[in-house]
Amino acid sequence: MPQLGESIAEATVVSIPFNVGDIVDSDQDVLDVETNKATMGVTAPCSGRIVELSVELQHSYPVGATLGFLEVTNEEAIRAGLDVPAPAEPTAERNGETRHAEAPAEKKTYGVQPTLRGLPVPAHASGASYMSPRMRARMNELGLHAADLAGVAGSGAAGRVTVEDFEKFLSQLENHKLSPASSMRVAVADAMRRSWTRPIATVGMPVRIDAMLAHRKTSDPKPGPALYALRALAVALGENSAPAGRLVGEKIVHPLAIDVGFAVEAEDGVLVPVLRHADRTPLAQMANRYNELVELARQRRLPANAQGGSIATVTNFGTFGLEWATPIPLPEQTMVLGMGAGRIVPNWDKEKGQFLPVTEAHFTLSFDHRVLDGGGAGRLLQRIASLLQDPGSL
Amino acid sequence: MITYLEAIREAQARALAEDPRVYIYGQDVGQFGGAFKATKNLAQEFPGRVLDAPLSEDAIIGSAIGAAIEGFRPIVEMQFADFSTVGFNQIVNQAATLHWRTNVPCPITVRLPSGGTAGGGPFHSQSMEALYAHYPGLIVMTPATVEDAYSMLLEAVAIDDPVIFCEHKYLYYHLKAECLPSEAVPTGKARIARAGRDATIVTYSAMLHESLACAEDLAGEGWDIEVIDLRSIKPLDTDTVLASVARTGRLLAVGEAWPWGGVTAEVIARVATEGFDLLDAPPQRLNARDTPIPFHPNLWGTHRPTARTIGARMRDLLRL
Repeated sequence: MPQLGESIAEATVVSIPFNVGDIVDSDQDVLDVETNKATMGVTAPCSGRIVELSVELQHSYPVGATLGFLEVTNEEAIRAGLDVPAPAEPTAERNGETRHAEAPAEKKTYGVQPTLRGLPVPAHASGASYMSPRMRARMNELGLHAADLAGVAGSGAAGRVTVEDFEKFLSQLENHKLSPASSMRVAVADAMRRSWTRPIATVGMPVRIDAMLAHRKTSDPKPGPALYALRALAVALGENSAPAGRLVGEKIVHPLAIDVGFAVEAEDGVLVPVLRHADRTPLAQMANRYNELVELARQRRLPANAQGGSIATVTNFGTFGLEWATPIPLPEQTMVLGMGAGRIVPNWDKEKGQFLPVTEAHFTLSFDHRVLDGGGAGRLLQRIASLLQDPGSL
Repeated sequence: MITYLEAIREAQARALAEDPRVYIYGQDVGQFGGAFKATKNLAQEFPGRVLDAPLSEDAIIGSAIGAAIEGFRPIVEMQFADFSTVGFNQIVNQAATLHWRTNVPCPITVRLPSGGTAGGGPFHSQSMEALYAHYPGLIVMTPATVEDAYSMLLEAVAIDDPVIFCEHKYLYYHLKAECLPSEAVPTGKARIARAGRDATIVTYSAMLHESLACAEDLAGEGWDIEVIDLRSIKPLDTDTVLASVARTGRLLAVGEAWPWGGVTAEVIARVATEGFDLLDAPPQRLNARDTPIPFHPNLWGTHRPTARTIGARMRDLLRL
């Protein structure tokens, strides 16, 4: 099994197009294998006759494993970089293997032995992210996390941060003004740090919000713009909750209910009140509860039943005049839907043959890329955008 | 000036002079003064108390145990540590267990001329301390200095437990001191032979001197290496070792004996179990190679750790 790419340690045989006895050419695909990245061919190192296939379908073999044997001419063997022993060895018939018996002077069987060197080391095995027991203990003692060391240049093997580096870093901190972080700040930091252990990706698209703004004007009480987005997300997830599932080991954990949170800025941090069963509750019925929760969150007096357990969050970063952002989902959630500031932009009207002003806002979806891909995220955003075009039905 | 070997002779002379229960028993220890002259002239100075023994380590130790039961304090010399295996049964089955079985103490001291010298070969170079340390009931001393050779041997004779006294043959003539010590650190307490802050070498016996030489070399490169002399490997002063590792975060255990299940393994096991959170790098050890000890001086020189090989291992450890 050759090295099929960086960080590929093994591959699964998915097809064996040849049989023992077949003749293959040099560089011809003799096996199809599947890695965790792609399906590809394993090529013959030289021309010859297949005398043994040591593999089974759907079995996985590590890089360097013997997949089979080719019977080749001396010239081919030399071309493939193998040592060729002196010809005419009568011992070729050992083990009673008749295949070696014919013309032993000219033909010889060799196992091609790919090198095992250069096997990739997992990125987390060494380097800056390796923490010695002492570092771990010292950081626990001080209540620090790996992220706090991001700015420390390590002097140890592969750039790891040694205890000496760490103590030097700590002593330099004393030259600065130090103020305690609020418990709110620490809680947000903790949540973001834990969430960031996952591969987070963001997609975004402009969404027309004229219909939403018009609907809002005529409503009483007026739902906040984020509530429209929240309701649209909830409806979309109610149709298919899989994108909001969490990946635990090799299982997708599906949500029990479409409870969606929304971000509210509070002093020195963010709180996320939750609207329960947002897929089954019409927008108009949630407006009062939404306004009430915004107020309670700002006062940091959220009731217990309005906290936690949500499967996604909506954040309206447009309130800060921002058009685009890549928010980080809460650690227990797979996605966060963001909405940017609305702005009036020219839009080509085909019927009238001219540009007309429309109001647009960018919607973003940041998600755990282990669970969801760009396509799935894009489709979810498209569905949300289309739901927002008919706010009366929300 | 007094050598390590002379210190051992002086300690025995003093023990004979101060305690009438002490006598010396071993092959050629009497008229001949011992294979290494560790009992030189003692037979003349203490008539009837320095006795030549037959060529049977089994019998020598067996009779010493009997004498100890009768109230004597025998000092037994094995010509070479390697030969003590012939008396192994008496040491580990009889001497080590006597007090625990019968409440009768067994105050014998077994002197083992230990360790390698150039050309010693497989039967005259062994370091047996780990073997004896394995057995409960025995005390195993491994003095690395002239002062310790003197004071620890006196202590070995004085205490009621059987003591395996591993004196290093290479140090016999190579190590000299101005005078004999007037006071002593008690057995069971390690000594910081050189203070440092970057890494700790834990060692004992002749390897102390190779380690100190290595520390000197590394000081020239800007490293500050702490060197700990265990002095006795049983009892083993874990506290001093842990306190040192707490300061440095890095540990290299060095021993002249073989690696398998030995003193360096024990030191590392203790630090890993009791002081895991003190370690900033995987603890390392360096021992003789895991083969019988070669005759040829060149081979012997590459078989045991030296200042150079300790330095190489230490540089690796410091880079981790």
